[in-house]
Amino acid sequence: MTGPFSLIATDVTRPVFEGIGPVGRAIFYAVAAVSTVVFVWGVWLRVRKYRMGRAAQRWPTIRAALGSRLRTVGSGASVAKGNFATGVAHFLIFWGFTVAFLATVILTIDTDVVRKASRLIVGHQDSFFHGTFFIVFTFVVDTMGFAFLLALIYMAVRRGVRKPWPLGYGRADVPAGGYSRKRLVEGDWLFLGLLIVILVTAYLLTGLRILGQHMVWFTVFSPFGRAVAEVLSGLGMTPAQAVTVHGVVWWVHAALALSFVAYIPYSKAMHMPVDAVNLLATDRSATLSLPAPAAGHPGYQEISDFTWKELLDLDACTKCGRCHEVCPARTAGAPLSPRDLILDLRQWVDTSTGGITLLDREQRPGRTGPLAEGKGVRIAGDVIEAATLWSCTTCMHCVDVCPVGIEHVPTIVQLRRSLVDEGTMDSTLQQALQNLATQGNSFGKSARMRARWTRELDFEIPDARKQPVKYLWFVGDFASFDERLQESSRILARILRDAGVDFGLLYEAERNAGNDVRRTGEEGLFEMLAEHNIEVLRGAQFEEIFTTDPHTLNALRNEYPRLGASYKVWHYTELLAQLLENGEIDVRPLGYRVTFHDPCYLARYNGVLDAPRRILRALGCELVEMPRHGADTFCCGAGGGRIWMDDGFLTERPSESRITEALQLDVGQFVVACPKDVTMFFDAAKTTRADDRLAVRDITLLIDEAMTRPAEPGMAGEPTV
Amino acid sequence: MRIVVPVKSVPDLVEEIELTADETGIDREYLTFVLSEWDAQALEEALLLKDAGGAQVVAVGLADDPEIDQILYTALAKGADAAVKIADASVAGLSGPRVIRTADRAALLAGYLADQPADLVVTGVQAADDLDGQLPATLAALLDLPHVSVAVSVVAAGGSVTVRQEFAAGRSHELQVQLPAVIGVQSARQAPRYAPITRIRQAQQAGGLTEVAVSPRAAGAGLVVRRMHRPEAGGHAEMLTGSAGNVADQIVGLLRARGLVKG
Repeated sequence: MTGPFSLIATDVTRPVFEGIGPVGRAIFYAVAAVSTVVFVWGVWLRVRKYRMGRAAQRWPTIRAALGSRLRTVGSGASVAKGNFATGVAHFLIFWGFTVAFLATVILTIDTDVVRKASRLIVGHQDSFFHGTFFIVFTFVVDTMGFAFLLALIYMAVRRGVRKPWPLGYGRADVPAGGYSRKRLVEGDWLFLGLLIVILVTAYLLTGLRILGQHMVWFTVFSPFGRAVAEVLSGLGMTPAQAVTVHGVVWWVHAALALSFVAYIPYSKAMHMPVDAVNLLATDRSATLSLPAPAAGHPGYQEISDFTWKELLDLDACTKCGRCHEVCPARTAGAPLSPRDLILDLRQWVDTSTGGITLLDREQRPGRTGPLAEGKGVRIAGDVIEAATLWSCTTCMHCVDVCPVGIEHVPTIVQLRRSLVDEGTMDSTLQQALQNLATQGNSFGKSARMRARWTRELDFEIPDARKQPVKYLWFVGDFASFDERLQESSRILARILRDAGVDFGLLYEAERNAGNDVRRTGEEGLFEMLAEHNIEVLRGAQFEEIFTTDPHTLNALRNEYPRLGASYKVWHYTELLAQLLENGEIDVRPLGYRVTFHDPCYLARYNGVLDAPRRILRALGCELVEMPRHGADTFCCGAGGGRIWMDDGFLTERPSESRITEALQLDVGQFVVACPKDVTMFFDAAKTTRADDRLAVRDITLLIDEAMTRPAEPGMAGEPTV
Repeated sequence: MRIVVPVKSVPDLVEEIELTADETGIDREYLTFVLSEWDAQALEEALLLKDAGGAQVVAVGLADDPEIDQILYTALAKGADAAVKIADASVAGLSGPRVIRTADRAALLAGYLADQPADLVVTGVQAADDLDGQLPATLAALLDLPHVSVAVSVVAAGGSVTVRQEFAAGRSHELQVQLPAVIGVQSARQAPRYAPITRIRQAQQAGGLTEVAVSPRAAGAGLVVRRMHRPEAGGHAEMLTGSAGNVADQIVGLLRARGLVKG
């Protein structure tokens, strides 16, 4: 024996079955076998369910993620991101559990493999569970276990005393007849309580053993176990009494621990393996560029339409409620909460596939929503109501805040595809889609009028279909057809002309890029629009593309490459920032105090955070950030086709909530960089009666105001909207 | 029950409609053509009859109508059982879409229906280019069938249908009409359903259009368009000009001046 402990720890160890006779051992192994069978059966039920799902093409993702994503799993970074204290506690629980699990595995190997095998092979019993190894093992398990226990107690206090509101599990919508999620709360407490009781009995057991061993010297390496022994001794317990009590507590602890093993696959504890896999398999790009419909029929009609990853997503949810908190639909009083959606689907899929769950299920008087049963139940429409699915703005905040890699948005769109297929939609959305089908724009205006806004310019923008240009400007529907925005388009055209930018248009050949069409679930219409645009793009001569609309940007950057059309695509703010910094645009400082609203499809989807801020800096504006900014921006409420649907049922429109947020900052201007945002926030400023204090302005207008042109010096105009 | 739904295309009215050089028609070269909105209502009402209990719905269009293939495939995507494209046997050899007068349209449809009788014919009560609603009435006359126009509901009742006919100020009455009959539909009981593009494309790929050559049932009346006129501003219309904001201000001013809004 070598090592630092070799002198003092030559033959220290402890018997695993301390004070348990052969009959006791036999009983223990019998119970362990039963618990293992129950565990394996539960895991099989889960695996059988996932195997019903379609292929998800996620193996490359998992392979690529093995390095970085394993670190996320191990560090719990995604848990800590939203709440640091919870993250630390979860980290300790994660590693505490892992150490406890590994310790059990090591002991099992020593007891049931090494000792037994050595007896058979070399004729005498060998073991590695002694000496230095034993000392280190004891110390690690004792200290990590205690941190584990403290973290569990912190979680219990958080849950039971501080009661964060999302953990009450209130639904975003109250179904007719009401509902109860009491069992979800009970399920959580069972999980937490079981772990706490198992740990408490473990320390009690250690303390009793140490006391029973008359506090033998090497037990100092179990500092917390020894502290328990000191307390017991201080309370007057003798070593002999300790040995007796130990015999009882040993069985209590063993029974609890074996029960826990059996309990795992039927409870929240299953999140441990499921979420590790889910975090490895999660792929953000599946939201940027949505998956194709299931082959054979559009939309999801049965469980086998889900991919295994989507089914795993359902089980991955720990109900933390982060998506519930940030969701703009939920915030606005819509019936959608991403968490409710996942939990409803989970319960329905699980019960329909013969899954067994302890507690953790919602109860309702009727057979609606997650309790729907029988033939002909529609996943989109019955399990999840149409109004719920239509509430999503596809802002992707839920996907980004989810600590366990659930991808809510692609699932919602898949379910919307079912609704579109059966024609269940708002009449206004139906009209918009029909307009898009006949004229290529949602306004229902003649496709030939698309470039009419250019007529009032005193110069002609080159036609990229007829002459080569460096940049192709993909203008988009709103900037082309909305009368309130056409002037901004003309101003942008003038700025670019004055800066000497070589750019052109597709004129009337441009069609809606289809980003939001795809997100409404109208896949065929998206294909039609994209095919048309790609054909026109192929016939045009340009080097790179820039867009006004961040939604268009997302389609061109992330959706079109899948259809074989890959281009370098910029947002106009990226282009303008560069022109300002290169001195191609001459500006005087404006000195305004402003705030900036990050468009979801620019900031969250495509990570363009700096460009608009660089512009504001170049314009000498003081930027005061809203609490929700950058990639954590709050949706205006228009995305995912919501702009074509009625929002009269909302209690507070997301755009109004956003204006209220900006009003706290004492700024005069609310700067935006998305045409839809101009219309959304201009209306919201009016309905919140804030338009006298807060001007909603496209960033283009600020540049125009700050530009010193030779021909028309000074101010170039008031906000046009 | 075999329900035949004659459908037609009309110019999408969001287009700027120009007259031809001789001012006897509209310049159709760059126009987008869409299904007549009243025919969309008629098709919906027919599909509702089918949903209610086992009718066979056949959408019928004229081969000479622009975009008629697309319109018929859309009807199939919505749930029509068959779609038929009628070519005029008397003018065989002519190619390309041409303008068809309502009387000629009725004659062709009557020719088709004589060969392929229907229990019920439902079509739009009017169209953008047939505002006085001649088609259903002419068709019924040529086939010598009972006819009801301005229907807002058609419900099957054995060998007849119960039709709700609308009058001014929202009044309506119910008629029992013996089949076969021709009904001009004003509006269906529910908004026309949406046809997902994927289903329209599937219908196209399946190629479910039947083409038939038909001899017109009777020669149309010999009316000839002498001249078409552009829309003229009426004497009482005041055109507001200026930017959108400016126009909005003028409207608010007018509403205030007439006491329609306060403040």
